[in-house]
Amino acid sequence: MKVEHTTLPKKYHDAVEHWRRHWLPDYGTLITDWDKYFPQDDAFCLCAKMEVGTSDMIQIGDQTGEKKRLKPDQLTEDQAKHLLAIIRAQASTEFGSIQQHAGTLHRAADDEDRFWVLRVMAEELRHGYQMFHLLLTEDWTHVSGGVKGETMVEEILSMQTGSHVLDAFNVEYDSFIDNICFAALIDRVGKYQLTMQKVCAYKPMADSMPPMLREEAFHLAAGVIPLRRWAQRAAKGDPLITMQVVQKSINKWFPRALEMFGDERGGDKNIHFGFKDMKNREAQDHYLAEVTRMIRDINSRYLRARFPGYTPDKVELVLDQIERSRGKHEGVAWDDLLHVPDRRFFRRKGEPAWQMVGTLGETFADADEYVRYLAKALPEAYLTTKDLRSYSETLHKVAAGELSVTDAIMSMPKLKRVGGTCPCSRSVRWVQEEETAAPAVTTNGS
Amino acid sequence: MPDVQAKARVRPLDELDIGSIVRIDERITGRYRPELWEQRVGYYLRRDPDSSQVVELDGKVVGFMLGDVRAGEFGLEEPSGWVERFGIDPDFRGRDLGTLLFGALAAHFKEAGITTIRTLVDQQDAGVAGFLSALGFSPSTLQALEMRVTK
Repeated sequence: MKVEHTTLPKKYHDAVEHWRRHWLPDYGTLITDWDKYFPQDDAFCLCAKMEVGTSDMIQIGDQTGEKKRLKPDQLTEDQAKHLLAIIRAQASTEFGSIQQHAGTLHRAADDEDRFWVLRVMAEELRHGYQMFHLLLTEDWTHVSGGVKGETMVEEILSMQTGSHVLDAFNVEYDSFIDNICFAALIDRVGKYQLTMQKVCAYKPMADSMPPMLREEAFHLAAGVIPLRRWAQRAAKGDPLITMQVVQKSINKWFPRALEMFGDERGGDKNIHFGFKDMKNREAQDHYLAEVTRMIRDINSRYLRARFPGYTPDKVELVLDQIERSRGKHEGVAWDDLLHVPDRRFFRRKGEPAWQMVGTLGETFADADEYVRYLAKALPEAYLTTKDLRSYSETLHKVAAGELSVTDAIMSMPKLKRVGGTCPCSRSVRWVQEEETAAPAVTTNGS
Repeated sequence: MPDVQAKARVRPLDELDIGSIVRIDERITGRYRPELWEQRVGYYLRRDPDSSQVVELDGKVVGFMLGDVRAGEFGLEEPSGWVERFGIDPDFRGRDLGTLLFGALAAHFKEAGITTIRTLVDQQDAGVAGFLSALGFSPSTLQALEMRVTK
């Protein structure tokens, strides 16, 4: 594998550095202590990385077998528009996740956990930088309505939690548990998106994916490994971390993660255009299977800590038995373990949007009852957020027949930039979405 | 046993393999060491996630081989591929799964431009020494030395 490193023109590089000073103030500490936590690793580089030696031929879609496109004007207009939306959404998620992480980073009880997340944040910054490289090295104005790369960069750097393209990046963290669950669940969607885009018919996009994917592998570990350790602590009776608290954070993020794949019925365009190699539902199915594997792994760690004398095979047997019977084993109840919520639970986009379904697949007919149920299933600190209040209000309108599901999907409030020339402008206010059509792009991840 | 190899799937290590590696290690050493493997897997994933490999049979991980490309070890400035940890579930030994794992790791090293692959072995562990010899490893002029230090 060979990778070429490039930096943005100074003006843009400086804009990202400026943004970083606001949202990643611990960057200096990360760099200073890098060798302490990541000995032998290459130093962090804020740059774009392009894989060399990837396929020159389009591998999927209507143009299979043709040479990959090197410039936006070699794509059809529809293709270029669609890809531009993907790149902008991807960039938004990268910067968005840093803003989310920043809110609770300092609440980490463990220094290593904090430094791992800090590295994740720095690498997300690099991923955003990578997308800027794609936006700025070529001219997209023929499909951007005349908006220049410079303006697109400013717009993305102006976004805050609430104004990002995808919902998962508009939900604030309540505690450091969210930093970890986000890495384990939301970054995992990112891995799928990046993997699917390795075939992209636009070569600069395809060449961007392998270096990002290599970094993403650690991001997932930065989620799963602390979760494993917390499961052990919970099993040993540590009152400061319980499986129920972790489960509530999973309940908060898992529905948003599923929605990042886009509507379950969609994804054809990505295949036809040669941008991705899986449709939305197929990718979501794979993701669901992987999350199931992750939850089982964490539950095994929990059980082994509860029963240190058990062999690994016995632990698996007990886990099977508890999951099957939803009963108890030597004081460990089914409720003491983690579960993957039903894929229709707490959804506001996609095929099951605004259905009232519980984590176990149970259905509700009354919106009040469902909101009361959510209040028990979600983290306590999340209950008083604007995001959940808006969800509740919209749900009541949908349930009362005052709002269609399609309109409800578009009705959640978002922050919009209203002015300011500084790329990191905080000049934003709450406004309602004006569009009623489904967004062209509902996929991507950090 | 070609039928077993046909069903074997070698793939890069990921963070969800920790539990399987802990299990294999426990079966080999008799010690349950989740913290150790969480650290090691975290290390390899952040260094180069395409390098380390696991082998699955019917979807179950039954072997692993961890390694990466490093320069500067013991004054060896030339980047080398280091094979550091590996294990095959005792129930699945003798089926060339270790060879499959090494093949994938070596291919990755070659792709990275490596011309020398290195490892250390305890010569008293005849099984491991024999396995490495069968793969093509031969004694190096570099010799591992150690000294006991009393308190």
